[in-house]
Amino acid sequence: MNNILLDNLPLLVLNQLVSLFYLITTALYGAHFFRDTLLEKKNYKQLVLVLTILIHVVYLGLLTSTEGYKINYSMANLMTMVGLTLTITYLFIEFTTKSDKTGFFVISFAAGAQLMSSILTTQMANTGIPFSGIGIGVHLIAAIFGFSAIAIAGLYSILYLLLFRQIEQNRFEFLFQRLPNLEVLEKLTMHAVAFGFLFLSITIFAGIIEQKALNETINLLEPRLISLVVIWLLYGTGIFIKPIIGWDIKHMAYLFIFLFVFITILIVLMTFFSPSFH
Amino acid sequence: MNIISVGVNHKTAPIEIRERISLSEVQNKEFITGLISSGLAHEAMVISTCNRTELYVVPAIYEVTGEYLKEYLISFKDARKDVRPEHFFSRFYCGTARHIFEVASAIDSLVLGEGQILGQVKNAYRIAAEAQTAGILITRLCHTAFSVAKKVKTKTKIMEGAVSVSYAAVELAQKIFSNLSMKKVLLIGAGETGELAAKHMFQKNARNIVITNRTLSKAEALAEELGTNKVLPYESFREHLHEFDIIITAISTKEYVLCEAEMHQSMIRRRLKPVIILDLGLPRNVDPDIGKLQNMFLKDIDALKHIIDKNLEKRSRELPKVNAIIEEELIAFGLWINTLKVRPTIVDLQSKFIEIKEKELERYRYKVSEEELQRMEHLTDRILKKILHHPIKMLKAPIDTTDSIPSRVNLVRNVFDLEEPNQSH
Repeated sequence: MNNILLDNLPLLVLNQLVSLFYLITTALYGAHFFRDTLLEKKNYKQLVLVLTILIHVVYLGLLTSTEGYKINYSMANLMTMVGLTLTITYLFIEFTTKSDKTGFFVISFAAGAQLMSSILTTQMANTGIPFSGIGIGVHLIAAIFGFSAIAIAGLYSILYLLLFRQIEQNRFEFLFQRLPNLEVLEKLTMHAVAFGFLFLSITIFAGIIEQKALNETINLLEPRLISLVVIWLLYGTGIFIKPIIGWDIKHMAYLFIFLFVFITILIVLMTFFSPSFH
Repeated sequence: MNIISVGVNHKTAPIEIRERISLSEVQNKEFITGLISSGLAHEAMVISTCNRTELYVVPAIYEVTGEYLKEYLISFKDARKDVRPEHFFSRFYCGTARHIFEVASAIDSLVLGEGQILGQVKNAYRIAAEAQTAGILITRLCHTAFSVAKKVKTKTKIMEGAVSVSYAAVELAQKIFSNLSMKKVLLIGAGETGELAAKHMFQKNARNIVITNRTLSKAEALAEELGTNKVLPYESFREHLHEFDIIITAISTKEYVLCEAEMHQSMIRRRLKPVIILDLGLPRNVDPDIGKLQNMFLKDIDALKHIIDKNLEKRSRELPKVNAIIEEELIAFGLWINTLKVRPTIVDLQSKFIEIKEKELERYRYKVSEEELQRMEHLTDRILKKILHHPIKMLKAPIDTTDSIPSRVNLVRNVFDLEEPNQSH
């Protein structure tokens, strides 16, 4: 079988190293969340997180170097990109909100994506044509970042609802003691939603520009385009719904969880039924 | 040298006994100086708080025992009618050290981890130091206790989490809102409970605290004390309910101060922005149906007690860590005590050898030059230092199972033919 990893030992080692670093980062953030970290003086976990991102970028560089640094569309590549973008988006959120108590939930998700990618990469033959052109590149990267932000918004919404229920039902247990307060979780969710909206906007515009550049006519009834625009509109509404009509974050949390599940199912279905939907 | 502790505390006696035996600062000074001046003790200190009155005494004569000190304190307080020796605990040597370490690190407190006790132990030591009744042993004991307390505070979570209703209310508010300085707080009722809750809120940076009370002057006095100077007349505070993110009620009334209809209106006016109502009143001040409103967190005393129970549970789980710290310090303290016991023998040993050295050098004083004599003296000093190094090290070494301090001391005294020491302690 013609496999890029099995044919290239340094790449295989780097691929395993990326997965290993994701597991270490998850363990560090997990320890920070589940265990007493009173004595923790140095922020090792953030350092390891940055290191993981750097190794991941180097891995992607090496992976695409044979194709002139162009990534081809496959489930494995999509998963590794999701892992990376989730981690980058989370790091940005951690820096901007100064809250690191939710890292475990996001990074374990990213680690899962990366592990799945590693397994798929070693088992699949090289397929797909690499994408070329700035337009499609921006479109693809923005779409993956957009999905990561959607995933993070969904995860934070789940945490928000869990804490909300614990407070409501006077169950002041583990999550009550460990999670950041409701206002911080709301802020984290809204940051992720704003990110998601921005990247989805870029995805749509880059897609339109790319199709114009290829002189293709835009089919407004195409399911992919309709789904993307609907999701984009829902996220846009999510940002403005609160200041304009005062919809509470609890209902918005339900919306973001629904969107996250819906988009994940959509991507999985598209990947299985239309492996080259781009 | 022994150190005895006797006393009454919340574990050994009910409150009326503790009240009867407690000592004011003036009485405390009088009591400890009396013990020293009467020749009964070398050192003395008393910790007297609302929950405990405990004596720490280094006796000067053998007759001064735990029982003697109990009777002495009962007589001093003229409390023979009410207080009996059975109300007291007594400890000796390391038992005393362990006890004061436990007291200072707040694991012996009525409320586990209640941090006020350390200040009270420090105050007791200050009184003893000022009265010059704290000698080498009590000073070392107290300083070690302070160090234990500091370690416990920094290395464990024994003092974390709210354990009072008013503080639990603030802790809950902080689990909903991230920055209390940005939130508007309404306090309904300026009584003791309300005042405490407002002060805890203020400590956590809440600055926008508005107070309303049936007696306006009380509200104004509390607002002035907090430095907020924001007061609302009791008759009109309901018109402003929508402005507040946190509402604390602590008022004595049979009717609800807040009802569902007005809070519903207030929530519409504030576009469903979350509100927390902390009902600290007994009977309850707030209509329980308010808790069903969207984005409304209504918590009464029972709900807040859940937080307290959880925090106490969490503190209890820290006890093994605290005990490990105490154990470690206890060993170090025990070793130090042992050096006190061997110190007279070390001094005698050194004196004996210096005496021999001086006698021998004296024989040569007029037979050699001054310069040579100095060189000989220097040489003998070095030889003595080397000869004495091992016996002194052996005396100071930690005790093992087959050895004991008296046998070591006797061995050294017999080998080097030292005179018997004076048994003053």
